[in-house]
Amino acid sequence: MTERILLKTPAEIFDNGWKSLEVILTDQNIHIGKDRISLREIEDVEKVNINGKKAIRIKKDRDVIISFPEKLYDQIFKFLAYNLKSDRFAVYFLSPATIGGVIVRDSKWEKGYLSITEEAIWFLSPSKQIRIPFKNLGSVDKDVRTVGGKERLVLVVGHVDKGEVVTSFILCPETTLEMLEDYLKRLIEKHKPEVKLTEIEEQVAVMLYSGLDSVNIENILGISTDDLNKCFDKLVDLGLARVVKIRKELELTPKGIALVNTIMKKGRR
Amino acid sequence: MISLPRVLIVDDTAFMRKLLRNILFSGGFDIVGEAENGKQAVEMYKQLKPDLVMLDIVMPEMNGIEALKAIKQIDPNAKVIMCTAVGQEKIVKAAIKLGARGYIVKPFQAQKVIEEAKKVLGIS
Repeated sequence: MTERILLKTPAEIFDNGWKSLEVILTDQNIHIGKDRISLREIEDVEKVNINGKKAIRIKKDRDVIISFPEKLYDQIFKFLAYNLKSDRFAVYFLSPATIGGVIVRDSKWEKGYLSITEEAIWFLSPSKQIRIPFKNLGSVDKDVRTVGGKERLVLVVGHVDKGEVVTSFILCPETTLEMLEDYLKRLIEKHKPEVKLTEIEEQVAVMLYSGLDSVNIENILGISTDDLNKCFDKLVDLGLARVVKIRKELELTPKGIALVNTIMKKGRR
Repeated sequence: MISLPRVLIVDDTAFMRKLLRNILFSGGFDIVGEAENGKQAVEMYKQLKPDLVMLDIVMPEMNGIEALKAIKQIDPNAKVIMCTAVGQEKIVKAAIKLGARGYIVKPFQAQKVIEEAKKVLGIS
């Protein structure tokens, strides 16, 4: 069967630095310079940023990172997302339904697909291509929502997006819904860290989620800096948190105290 | 002197009340009272007349939906944000129908709570 060429464009591939080449997109393959990747062999794609340059990571046996001209970037990403190797289910989805616990009022139901690749689940529609890596999935539950004026059973998926907890809804025939719920629950279980936290540690995790800093956390819980540090270390060791800043606490030396006295006297003049 | 928006926090867990108090205080709100159930909330609303109530739903004695009803009877213009782990649509709808101005699902992010509270109070 002959390939139908859809697009030819200059592009750059990241391989120990950026190298220019031509990319040809056909209905069956993506030709990157002399290499050819069958669309049906692409395991996942992802938008990435390499040293300030927007690019697309194509996962096959190894990662291929290509930067396309800006005007074609979204179009090519959408094409690849729709045509890569995946299990795909026709669904209606609403994403995001809530962000950070707050209902997103202008979000609308979209007709499209739930696509499951090697690394992520996707919500695909002509206007949205939302990729949720497995490690970012948090929860899945059934709930009743009003869709098109009727009460319908939907799946509520909790996931993390750019550091914020988002929920999205999926609507599809009930037999598919049951199967998807079971599948997503198993995925979440597989990627869930096995942890046992004390009540205080759980509260610290909740406060970190809310965006509180260490001083506030100490004040709220009435615990010492040492105790909080032990708690932080445990969360970091378990892979539940990462260190973003180390705060310095200082005490003035006699030289510093003398300087402050001078500063105060200056103000009195 | 600028008067800060006055908030009543209602939640049955001390930890959640502390967390909300801290978040709202840092966002420029004056926490005028804290209640640990719906019944207390209604009494405190009568006394304090706060600008905003952050109201949990699942609580002993009187739940948040009943408390919302009672507060709205006292003051139909009361501004209430439901702040709860219950995200079921029928509960959200019931709260909105009863006059809740906002709905926040726990766990929440501080910035979102502040934004929602400001939006409900019409503060830019």
